[in-house]
Amino acid sequence: MDFGVLIQMIVWGLYAGCIYILLAIGLNLIFGVMKVVNFAHGEVLMLGAYAAFWIYTFSRINPYLVIPVSMLLIAILGVFIERLGFRPIMGTGKLNEIFLSLGLIYVFQNLAALLWSADSRSIHSPYSNVVVHIGAIKLPLDYLIIIVVTIVFLIAFQLFMKKTTIGRAMRATSQNREAAALMGINVERMDMLSFALGSALAAAAGSLWLISGQMANPYMGAIPAVKAFAVVIVGGLGSIPGAIIAGLILGIGENVLPYLLQAFVAVFHVEMSFTAWKDTIAFFLLIIVLILRPTGIFGEKGE
Amino acid sequence: MKYGILFTVLVVSVLLAGCVEQPKETPSGVEEIKIGVVAPLTGGASTTGLDMWQAAVLAADEINAQGGINIDGTSLEVKLFQGDTETSREGGVKAVTKLITENEVDILVGGFSSGITYADQVVAAEHGVPFIVTGASSPVITKRTDIDTSYFFHHCPTTDDYGEDTLLFVDEIVRPAINERFGFPVDRKLRLAVLYQDSKYGEGVYDGIQKAIAEQNLSVEVVAAEKFKMSETDFRTVLTAIKAAKPDVLYPAAFVNEQALIVAQGRRDVGLNTIYLAVECNDDPDYYSGVERWGEYSILESRFSPYAIPAGAIHDSVAQYRQDFENKWGTSPSMMGASTYEGVYIAVDAIKNAGSLDKGAVREALVNLEMPQQIEAMEGGVISFSPDYRESKFKLYMEQLIWDDSIGETRPKIVWPDSVKETDFVLPDWYEPGST
Repeated sequence: MDFGVLIQMIVWGLYAGCIYILLAIGLNLIFGVMKVVNFAHGEVLMLGAYAAFWIYTFSRINPYLVIPVSMLLIAILGVFIERLGFRPIMGTGKLNEIFLSLGLIYVFQNLAALLWSADSRSIHSPYSNVVVHIGAIKLPLDYLIIIVVTIVFLIAFQLFMKKTTIGRAMRATSQNREAAALMGINVERMDMLSFALGSALAAAAGSLWLISGQMANPYMGAIPAVKAFAVVIVGGLGSIPGAIIAGLILGIGENVLPYLLQAFVAVFHVEMSFTAWKDTIAFFLLIIVLILRPTGIFGEKGE
Repeated sequence: MKYGILFTVLVVSVLLAGCVEQPKETPSGVEEIKIGVVAPLTGGASTTGLDMWQAAVLAADEINAQGGINIDGTSLEVKLFQGDTETSREGGVKAVTKLITENEVDILVGGFSSGITYADQVVAAEHGVPFIVTGASSPVITKRTDIDTSYFFHHCPTTDDYGEDTLLFVDEIVRPAINERFGFPVDRKLRLAVLYQDSKYGEGVYDGIQKAIAEQNLSVEVVAAEKFKMSETDFRTVLTAIKAAKPDVLYPAAFVNEQALIVAQGRRDVGLNTIYLAVECNDDPDYYSGVERWGEYSILESRFSPYAIPAGAIHDSVAQYRQDFENKWGTSPSMMGASTYEGVYIAVDAIKNAGSLDKGAVREALVNLEMPQQIEAMEGGVISFSPDYRESKFKLYMEQLIWDDSIGETRPKIVWPDSVKETDFVLPDWYEPGST
């Protein structure tokens, strides 16, 4: 296998990993604070992509400037989901939470199909023709921006969680809800904020996905959501560094492993394409990680 | 409070379910021919399914406006029933079961996606209901041996047909153009890469390519053959691998959303500056808007285009159909609708010839059918089914997409065969061939 080709594939994996990381961190935050698994998180990504599309279509401003607006709108939506959906059923049993989030998948998908049809929508980046040469690698500028933007979001998120009062309060709620409440933290407000922030990160993922040349449609959220769940589990429930590492493992693994496998079987004179198996191979890799470390890379026992 | 929110959620959910556009079934008559239209009206392929349904309604309305069909002195009206496959195999089985057992249809028309039709045709075979398949292109539909396929009639080109005509065009037109531009030997084989969906449809196209190369003795070699799973959105890695194989031409076997992403990611991200071929289902307004300028100079195999009409006998009827469709539905018709429109006419013609609604008699009438071509050009100008696998034979053509500044999208120009050609094939300046 050509080494240059392999490096290029790793770069595509890094890009995919960025999207998974943003989505997974939002999921992790919501789970960490509320202990709720939002299965409709992929649909929040989808709505974020649509928000970016419509804001761009009506304003025609640089699509990257659309991202904060999309994040803000979807953060507000996240507040509504928490207030009207999850809060009333909190503590009534995990099954209720699961079925609510599963129901939200269909509500959001049908709502999007009703409002905007099943047609695919795309955004044309002004930098789509610009290619950056980094050594032997040719990287379209959009992907470089996406990787940089993701890093900026992650740093800002870490600073927010570690250095601000609200961030510390959210972490306290995540660690021990009752103790946090006894210390005067409004845990219900933390729930609302975690949903808003998690949804905003999903909107950022959806917007970046759209700007990178993907298409928005009502059903686009399903597969990224499944992968984000895998990232959360492998990284360790509630662990942000774990989500980052697992996201990169998944992104790079699913892009590179099919070709390493193809090169491997070629040694035995077997010609076989493994590209259609990329999800299978990626999840197989994740299963191996879980067998070796059931709590995930950074997960704690009993989490 | 909780009950209030629960009630609100329930009301909104019910309203949402009710608000999703549900095409209405045609009004009932006393005496009627019941035709079940099998199409994905919801789910990922709902745009195509809606087009199929609307085309079927247009055909039924036209037939009923002319008094329906007269059988033994009784005037029968065509009544359509929806069978929504929900763009899934399970949905397809449910839809066909409902049409046969609940609606008691006389005949089925439609079927989009070979994978879905492969699953739901089992129900039709068990009940012996004639099925005119107008959207599933795998030849397996009428060739499989595990069920009785004698009630299935294929009225859309099969994946074998796509492969044959597309590769004939590539060998005859594209290969000489590349060899001439780059000073390659005249007998240099064209380096073909194939990127196909991991489904009955994708595998069918790949098989068709291999058959065409072998049977037509074409000067084409396959230098890369990669698969992707249905609904994939990230093709950068597989396209990087394909680029490393240095192809002259890339032939993806993909649906609209996939094809647009393959072309855009291939040219923009991977720098695979080659000629992209496309299967006919991509000749759809969504493809032209989705692929943007990256699709310029790519090749589309077609039989019914939203933006081009081949010269010849069917020119006026295509223009009329397009106008009638736009008047009725306020939108442009697409390819799957065209064959479904014809499918309704075929069903009615067969019933008329059979002189009865008996399913066996209708099947026999379909076997012996010979009706004039309508809005798609047929071999010999006649719609009929082959005696072996009951496939109708279409005249296909190749279009090249040319950028139109006034519209901000590409538009097709027919470049092959000579009988309907509008302009010559262009090898673009940015084109890069594979290795010598």
